[in-house]
Amino acid sequence: MMDLRINDEDSLIMHVDLNSCYAIIEQQANPLLRYKPVGVAAFDSPGGFILAASYEAKRQGITLMRIRDAKVLCPDIIILTPDPEKYFDAHRRFRAVLERYTNEVNPKSIDEFMVDFRGSQAVQDGKSLVAIAKQIKQDIKESLGDYVTVNIGIAPNRFLAKLAAGLDKPDGLDVVRPEGVLNIYGQLDLMDLPGINRRYKARLVLAGIMTPLDFFEAPMHKLKNEVFKSVVGYYWYLRLRGYEVDRANFKTRSFGSDYAIGDKTRDRDKVARFIMKMSEKTGRRLRKHDYEAWGVSLWLSFENGTWWGRSKRLQAPLYSTQDIYRACLRLLRSVEYPARITHINLAVFGVQPATPMQLGIFDDTRLDSRPLARAADKINDRYGEFTVVPATMANMQDVLIKRVPFGSVRDV
Amino acid sequence: MKEKINEEVSVVMYYSARRRQALPRIIQWQHKDYEVGEVGYCHSYMEGQERQHVFELVDKDKTLFFRLRLDGANLHWTLEAIHDGLAD
Repeated sequence: MMDLRINDEDSLIMHVDLNSCYAIIEQQANPLLRYKPVGVAAFDSPGGFILAASYEAKRQGITLMRIRDAKVLCPDIIILTPDPEKYFDAHRRFRAVLERYTNEVNPKSIDEFMVDFRGSQAVQDGKSLVAIAKQIKQDIKESLGDYVTVNIGIAPNRFLAKLAAGLDKPDGLDVVRPEGVLNIYGQLDLMDLPGINRRYKARLVLAGIMTPLDFFEAPMHKLKNEVFKSVVGYYWYLRLRGYEVDRANFKTRSFGSDYAIGDKTRDRDKVARFIMKMSEKTGRRLRKHDYEAWGVSLWLSFENGTWWGRSKRLQAPLYSTQDIYRACLRLLRSVEYPARITHINLAVFGVQPATPMQLGIFDDTRLDSRPLARAADKINDRYGEFTVVPATMANMQDVLIKRVPFGSVRDV
Repeated sequence: MKEKINEEVSVVMYYSARRRQALPRIIQWQHKDYEVGEVGYCHSYMEGQERQHVFELVDKDKTLFFRLRLDGANLHWTLEAIHDGLAD
């Protein structure tokens, strides 16, 4: 079979990402923090985990790590806790700037957008994408602030556009053209390629593919049958040559809540209260999107490094906070805690639109939890989150603070 | 380091019709007036149905950072936090 040549279509896909998103927004907001090492961490205690670091901190070796370790590398690091509302606001402004140029704006996360210019009027009018990118950089500075910079990559497909955006951080602007693809691959490591993690790298190395150039030169049948042992290999073969295989928009399949416990515990009542609050957060999001869920999963991590997880498909859908809470407690009954719990992850899956609702045997009786859930949601919409809560959640206002989403931005 | 304050404060605000922008000009806190220098970021969010406006700024001498919140329901100002720009 003949090798497929590199896609020579015009480069009309743009990847835009905000540099060190949370840290740079904090530096924009507080001019006293600019040009200093800053870390944004879930908690500001020594065990708190740094989620984002400013470029100044990254230059001193700060990555995703505990504050106590970061302070060894960089004693002057300034630690802040996240301000989700501010980051959501920045995301919306960021998006509004991009939508001035085209409607095909697809957020990949809170700080990343993929923009498709193939139908753009500006491009049809003969404006170059590089000129548009420079204008976008300027518009973002005007909208979010002078200190904020973005990386922009332009290429024929999403994969190469994201790769290009990472080439010259911070404040980069790079275009990948067909004739330059191999030159770029030649300068990179396998894990510099978007989507290649440690596990994928191990697979590739095992098959004798040590570099991105080896990866590019590997025949399609080898990637499909030997390395990935599935259609994923074929997708990589196309992706590396600039063909689009990542256009799909995935529909919502689950909602969840994740919590790292500051005050580790093995107290069952305390864990139940955490789970109630996580059920409320998850339930609120589920109902806001007018979904119900047909399954629940619970995952606990323990101080001794072990974990426990269970999931269950259910006979009746979950809708109210109490439904989710009770389903989780049923899962929880089967676990003995080997050590103190450090982390809880709760998710509901098998989501589908809650309306039209199938008639249930308890409808309109006191056992029907839906009207109560809707009434409580209305009050919380009007007066703020957690105004009305189940009694189990009393005095938990400051526990389980709002977190910033790393992937999905559907609630922003 | 950052210090949570959460105290109501007096604020002089100025609205520019030309810029279509309203910003704090003077903050009075603990018997001292602070003239506002650079405003780093302003955003708002909903608490229930009430809009809260947050202004993050430094004083004119660039010695102290203020995080101010204007409650859209009663127009009261709260100084939520300050920061001196130094590590803990």
